Amino acid sequence: MVTPHPNHKPPEHGIHLMTDTIKLDINGKAFTLAAEPRVTLLDALREHLGLTGTKKGCDQGQCGACTVHLDGERVLACLTLAAQAEGKAVTTIEGLAGEDGTLHAVQAAFLEHDAFQCGYCTPGQIMSAVACIREGHAGSDAEIREYMSGNLCRCGAYPHIVAAVRQAAEAVR
Amino acid sequence: MTPLDMPMKHGDAGDGASIGQRLSRHDGKLKITGSADYALERQFEHAAYAVLVPATIGAGRVVSVDTAAALAAGAILVLTPEDDLGLAQATTFTGQRPEGAFLPLPHEIRFDGQSVALVVAESLEAATEAARRIKVTYEAAPVTASLVQTPEDAGTVGEQFNVAWGDAQAAYADAPVKIEADYHTPREYHAAMEPHGLIAKWDGDRLTVWQPSQWVHAMARNYSDWFGIPMEDVRVVSPYVGGGFGSKGFNYGWEALVPAAARRLGRPVKLALSRPQNFNLYGGRASTRQTLKLGATKDGMLQSILLTGASETSTYGVWPEQVGAATPLMYGTPNYRGQQRIVQVNTVTPGALRGPGKAPSAFGIESAMDELAYAVGVDPLEIRLRNQPDHDRMSNKPWSTRRLREALTEGAAAFGWDKRPMAPRSMRDGHQLIGWGVATGTFPVIRNYGEAEIRVTAEGRVEVVSGATDIGQGTYTVLAQTAADAFGVPVDEVSVRLGDSSLPGSPVAGGSKLAGVMTGAVHKAATAAREELIGLALTHPDSPFHGIEANTLELKGGRLTPPRADAPNVTVAELLRAIGRDGLTVRRDTLPEDMQSPEERKRAWTTMTTAQGPTVGDYSQHSWCAHFAEVRVDEDFGTVRVSRIVSAFDCGLLYNPKLVESQWQGGIIMGIGMALFEEGLVDARNGRVVNNNLGDYLVPTNADVPEIQVISVGIPDTNASLLGGKGVGEVGIVGVAPAIANAVFHATGKRVRDLPITLEKLI
Repeated sequence: MVTPHPNHKPPEHGIHLMTDTIKLDINGKAFTLAAEPRVTLLDALREHLGLTGTKKGCDQGQCGACTVHLDGERVLACLTLAAQAEGKAVTTIEGLAGEDGTLHAVQAAFLEHDAFQCGYCTPGQIMSAVACIREGHAGSDAEIREYMSGNLCRCGAYPHIVAAVRQAAEAVR
Repeated sequence: MTPLDMPMKHGDAGDGASIGQRLSRHDGKLKITGSADYALERQFEHAAYAVLVPATIGAGRVVSVDTAAALAAGAILVLTPEDDLGLAQATTFTGQRPEGAFLPLPHEIRFDGQSVALVVAESLEAATEAARRIKVTYEAAPVTASLVQTPEDAGTVGEQFNVAWGDAQAAYADAPVKIEADYHTPREYHAAMEPHGLIAKWDGDRLTVWQPSQWVHAMARNYSDWFGIPMEDVRVVSPYVGGGFGSKGFNYGWEALVPAAARRLGRPVKLALSRPQNFNLYGGRASTRQTLKLGATKDGMLQSILLTGASETSTYGVWPEQVGAATPLMYGTPNYRGQQRIVQVNTVTPGALRGPGKAPSAFGIESAMDELAYAVGVDPLEIRLRNQPDHDRMSNKPWSTRRLREALTEGAAAFGWDKRPMAPRSMRDGHQLIGWGVATGTFPVIRNYGEAEIRVTAEGRVEVVSGATDIGQGTYTVLAQTAADAFGVPVDEVSVRLGDSSLPGSPVAGGSKLAGVMTGAVHKAATAAREELIGLALTHPDSPFHGIEANTLELKGGRLTPPRADAPNVTVAELLRAIGRDGLTVRRDTLPEDMQSPEERKRAWTTMTTAQGPTVGDYSQHSWCAHFAEVRVDEDFGTVRVSRIVSAFDCGLLYNPKLVESQWQGGIIMGIGMALFEEGLVDARNGRVVNNNLGDYLVPTNADVPEIQVISVGIPDTNASLLGGKGVGEVGIVGVAPAIANAVFHATGKRVRDLPITLEKLI
């Protein structure tokens, strides 16, 4: 539920640039931001909250670079309004490692297998991989390839991504 | 000691403690935790957001731009062709500087999507909405949409691309076996995952730009030229780059609008292109066509190669995609003639995309060799082995190292090529026709100069400092390895700072040369730092080594050890503490003596005029590869799946095989895209790229990529670089598309000569 900011005044030129207060639970921490209702979760993270680990590759729901978890399910942050995430637990790449910095099994496997080059699609790949394993879709290399195909990697790290997901799936099994 | 003095161990592996090792990425942890700060992620309190407005005609003139509705919708600034921004033309990579004013928003429209206005607002959402409300009135002119719309003899001959030896026409006429075929490659796009853009911030007359860049020094010079300020007052920052593939090496005109807007507003301005704008505000690989004629004996020995090709460019800039870039290097023909035309169409000026020239060139010659193999009934692997050249006929120089024969034979063995039946359509699995194809590739060794600084801290850690960039190829990692070995510390004790034009000079991260150039510079600086430290250890009165009878000390694993066992043995930190130093800084470059003036240094770091091509010097130097592909083609639907690839490479010494294998695989995967998916579709009416997004311009997904085996057959080539490496980044894509096309022929009996190989071409 979103409500107009109490201090909101319509601008003189007649275009309503409403600012809302949006409350988000991100990686177990509470955030409040003042933003227009048309702000996506992706832009809220990157432009308003300084959480730039989630990447903007296409802003059209085509590349997967902005993949985050909402209540544990993978979603595209560019196709989710920030306001839609209210009341849900948002998990981003910044919230994946342990509080003491211990890497998640998927992160460690990505590093070991060199499952990235430029690194820009990587947070989305890792968030997808964590969900892919949790969904039970990492049973074979063919299944991993299929269920990781929503995340494009132009550097072409796919074979190493498959190897990393396979190893991490075995580690958490 | 230089690397030449080091004892050689084996094959392509390095011999230092660190170089040649399969180390994980130095910057890896930052990238897997989301903490690597890509340029466009820099946060500012009062940044304004900019959006570019695209032209909706393919050629003509802007008559007027109506900004009223945009300003009413929240725009705080609109720049249009009417604005005089007071910019000057910038020096290009050729070192030439055109005269006169630079107009980033010209009235003349040369291609669909060209920027006609920049809209700035308080938020990205407001700027996007305001940009939508800009109303432009045009005078449209006729459009030439793409190369396929132009006749065979369109354009002009690029005389600099003429290559000839022997009498190719006469030899072709006399040849017992003749092959003639036309090959075509479409527009292809970089589609790097990180969009282009920049953040500009002025502090008085000093400008800082955060921008994904393959070459921060050249971009800093470019901004200084545009804005008429000293280069020292411009800083371009690009610590991590989300993929470039050739697209982030030079500035594009629209980029000037962002610092211009930031100066007018007195606050930082950020622009990130939308994904569709990433398809038309900078150029991808130009569309090409080529006609190849091969003349041969009945046992497949080449007698003549005749190549006539063409590539498209824009109406305002020249970028040749050289279809003859690989053709004259691959085979030993006694007669050769190649020619290339450049054809103007209404497109943004094309640019360099991984394996520029070489990739479409190899598609032509390597498809044609397969056609010749079938014409004479010789196995496609065997015909390639028979025609390997003993030297470079184009330059008449010996190869520095050319282990393409080894790549072919070792790749074939790993693939199981000897089990291949010659006849097409002779292998199947149910509805799937199976085919095996082979093709080779090459990329030149380009040499240049670099500069690096080594900082030794009080704790004995080593920092490598360079303005070079890491676009994912592994600059951070291999420079850490180089410094560790040359200075004598474990690689964990090395940190690396890159991607900032205020740091030491570097050439572009392009042309597969950066690792070779910069490992040379870092090796020189780190060796000098070690020598300086050892000198201090032997001569400083407070040093524990003072007065010992030794000419030198060993520095290994971070410890200084003397030749005599009874003398002290201390860490770098202990020595620095003893002699009262808080560190050591040494800067070195690899420029020759006569290029040390400020003008020459600027030329070296900001233009391509100091780059040395593959045949400068006594040898002809190139990387080589051989690809073996298996495809499965659905007989009913014509769908092609690549089911297996084995590729063998000669890239000299591998600084870090783990990272090299990643780059090779990445190049091969981009080659799968070139073979099967990638094609910029152009609207014939207005030249608009209609599939300008990642859902319609298809790049390989994870499910499109099979198991890929990569093999190194290289040996160190110290003519190519100080440590013996040749380029690895681009060669991987070269030859993949023809290997797949040849496999499709083997599976189906159908020869597809225009990429990509889509199902309608097979049914």
